Amino acid sequence: MIIQEGMTIQRKLEILSDAAKYDVACTSSGVDRKGTGTGMGNSLACGICHSFSEDGRCISLLKILFTNECIFDCKYCINRSSNDVVRASFTPTEVCELTMEFYRRNYIEGLFLSSGIMVSPNYTMELIFDALRMLRDEYQFSGYIHCKTIPGTDPALVEAIGWYADRMSVNLELPTASSLKQLAPHKNRKNILKPMRQIQLRRESNREYLGIYGGMKYPNEINNDTVYNKAFSNFNNRLNRLPKLCDTKKDNDINNLITSTSDITPYVKPPVTRSRYVPAGQSTQLIIGATDESDYHIMSVSEALYDGFDLKRVFYSAFMNVNNDSSLPSTQNGPPLLREHRLYQADWLLRFYGFRINELLSERTPNFNVLLDPKCDWALRNLDKFPVEVNKADYYTLLRVPGIGVNSARRIITARKSATLDFKDLKTLGIVLKRAVYFITCKGSMMYPIKLNEDFITRELLSVKDKLPFGIERDITYKQLSLFDDVSFHPDEEVKGMLLGGVQ
Amino acid sequence: MNNLKIFQCENSIDGIFSAIYQAWSSGYGHANIRIEEQSENDNYTNITLFSDYIIVKTDFEQAMKVSQSIKSKISLEAYEMVCRVALSNYQSKGDLIYRFLILGFHVGSKVVGYLSNEVVNRVFKLNRYVNGEAHHIMGFLRFSEQENGILTSVIHPKNNILTLITPHFADRLPMERFVIIDGNRNICSLHLPGRPWVLAEVPNIKSTYHETIMDDNNDEYEELWRVFFDNIAIKERINPGLQRNNLPIRFRRDMTEFIPRENIQIL
Ligand code: SF4
Repeated sequence: MIIQEGMTIQRKLEILSDAAKYDVACTSSGVDRKGTGTGMGNSLACGICHSFSEDGRCISLLKILFTNECIFDCKYCINRSSNDVVRASFTPTEVCELTMEFYRRNYIEGLFLSSGIMVSPNYTMELIFDALRMLRDEYQFSGYIHCKTIPGTDPALVEAIGWYADRMSVNLELPTASSLKQLAPHKNRKNILKPMRQIQLRRESNREYLGIYGGMKYPNEINNDTVYNKAFSNFNNRLNRLPKLCDTKKDNDINNLITSTSDITPYVKPPVTRSRYVPAGQSTQLIIGATDESDYHIMSVSEALYDGFDLKRVFYSAFMNVNNDSSLPSTQNGPPLLREHRLYQADWLLRFYGFRINELLSERTPNFNVLLDPKCDWALRNLDKFPVEVNKADYYTLLRVPGIGVNSARRIITARKSATLDFKDLKTLGIVLKRAVYFITCKGSMMYPIKLNEDFITRELLSVKDKLPFGIERDITYKQLSLFDDVSFHPDEEVKGMLLGGVQ
Repeated sequence: MNNLKIFQCENSIDGIFSAIYQAWSSGYGHANIRIEEQSENDNYTNITLFSDYIIVKTDFEQAMKVSQSIKSKISLEAYEMVCRVALSNYQSKGDLIYRFLILGFHVGSKVVGYLSNEVVNRVFKLNRYVNGEAHHIMGFLRFSEQENGILTSVIHPKNNILTLITPHFADRLPMERFVIIDGNRNICSLHLPGRPWVLAEVPNIKSTYHETIMDDNNDEYEELWRVFFDNIAIKERINPGLQRNNLPIRFRRDMTEFIPRENIQIL
């Protein structure tokens, strides 16, 4: 291990930002907090992007590792103990100074502190706790703080940090306990899920304590919008009526923790000064493509985490073989970005559109369609539910129409109060009809006289360019092939037929 | 034949409201009236034939009356929407506001939901446009610390959003002295600790960020920020198209991390 003494702050920042870049989460959303009038900082629930790095990702937080030293040896990680890389560590004061000075120049919304493990999980987390405590109490910082928890940290320490952070996360890294064991031999799944559960329970009791506990946990973005409250209660009712589609019970680790509440949370008196516990909630991250779990498997885990652990976000990170480890898949041709993109689309459908994963995938079709986004794919398999009447369908039914998103659905609902909408009105509202036309009627009739024929609509939908993020489109052919190879992709018979039939 | 009456006014909320007040009380009838604000470089748009031009002097009392009626007879939301339209760079926004208010005074607070009506829809879209830019600039704005400790920033927004973003910074940085300069409009907002922020005019400034701000400036945190910015990108995922889509080029002239290093003289 190479440790350099007397490194400049610039060199440390170079090393410790470079080592932190693989963590995806960089959002600063979820908390509304006014400035204190004396210190520095506030926070906006919508989050603010301050810049975009060359890879096109949002920069919102000072994302750094506290140290890149590590006693663990996770195969996928550049900082693993068996690697010979330059090591560096910040001091708590250095972290505070950087955060404050970047913040006042409006470079960032706050701090995202993650870390390798120096000496032991507790040793490292104590230093991180010092940094957070100084930042809040001494530097009077009220901006956003996201803190990563190292698995195996003493629950009392996790408890204490939660009063200083806005968001906490423990990375699940891999969907199954066996993959985790294989790639991260020093970690175990229970050590990851336990702090998650602990933070969840503390958040709940804190909310009850503050009397701000509201029943509505679904799309929190539109929570306080009375127009949609009715839609929500409809939706929640519908949800309760659904059979328990995703069988969480299959996942024993998750299930055990959900059913046991004792033994996890030590009682610590909340410090008077901080009233809200991890107000922006928890997130986690899964590495995609390092092991051979299907999309179905991955998304089932996400669903279980959203349902059982009240997670705010699950992030997906396309695997990159940074260590050129021969026991892991090669990523010489680039990380599996299209797959990552499809997972994010599906994740969105779970969180905001009221979908359950069993509607999107199954054991028989365990991976997402490379050519169509998950919602179009679902709609094509459910043509009997269409067309829907724009002037009557409820919010969540509108959301299921390909091409209609949250904003469009809300606009339709608002506009139809004062007028009966036709297709021209939809255009005025800025609703993109390219996909939607096949699935909706206005005043009882469709825009073109078309039959709901799956082949025909599939062809039409495929001719509308799938809106992929820049750079993914370019190499779709390669990705297509790599997906077929890598993850035993079995397209539905129809789609396969179409592929062979040469749709342009 | 009834000539069109064109009320020409200042390009400001008060100017437009004054024109609306005078147009309304003129009794010419809404169909024969047009409101026309000066464009940002002080020109009026093309002269229309067979029209009478009426020059409106901005009258704060009249403007205040219009604001009051919008708030009480329509809604606070409608008032805020109208203000954002007035801050936008949309040509003939004055007339748009006039049409919006005619409908608004007729139907009341429901007006903001009339999204399939073209006037309301335009107002709605402009709101999203102005809010969108304000939100972008809240993130993309960069302060430079001057030797006297004052934080200084220059922005070049398309819409006149200075008054929309300054409260955010005043709340966030209550103990700082800061100046935000709108380089397109030669106005600035100023904040001192413990006092309300103020809007002021500034003399013509040099056109680019680094010339005005970076001159004689040697701030080590700017260099640290560039170091961070360069290191945080994942090289295997480099994607200038996505970056451009998320962060349009036009903002970059004012952003520390995009100003080429050779343009900055480190003393
Ligand atoms: S514990 Fe974290 S830093 Fe250490 S090797 Fe594993 S992933 Fe990397």
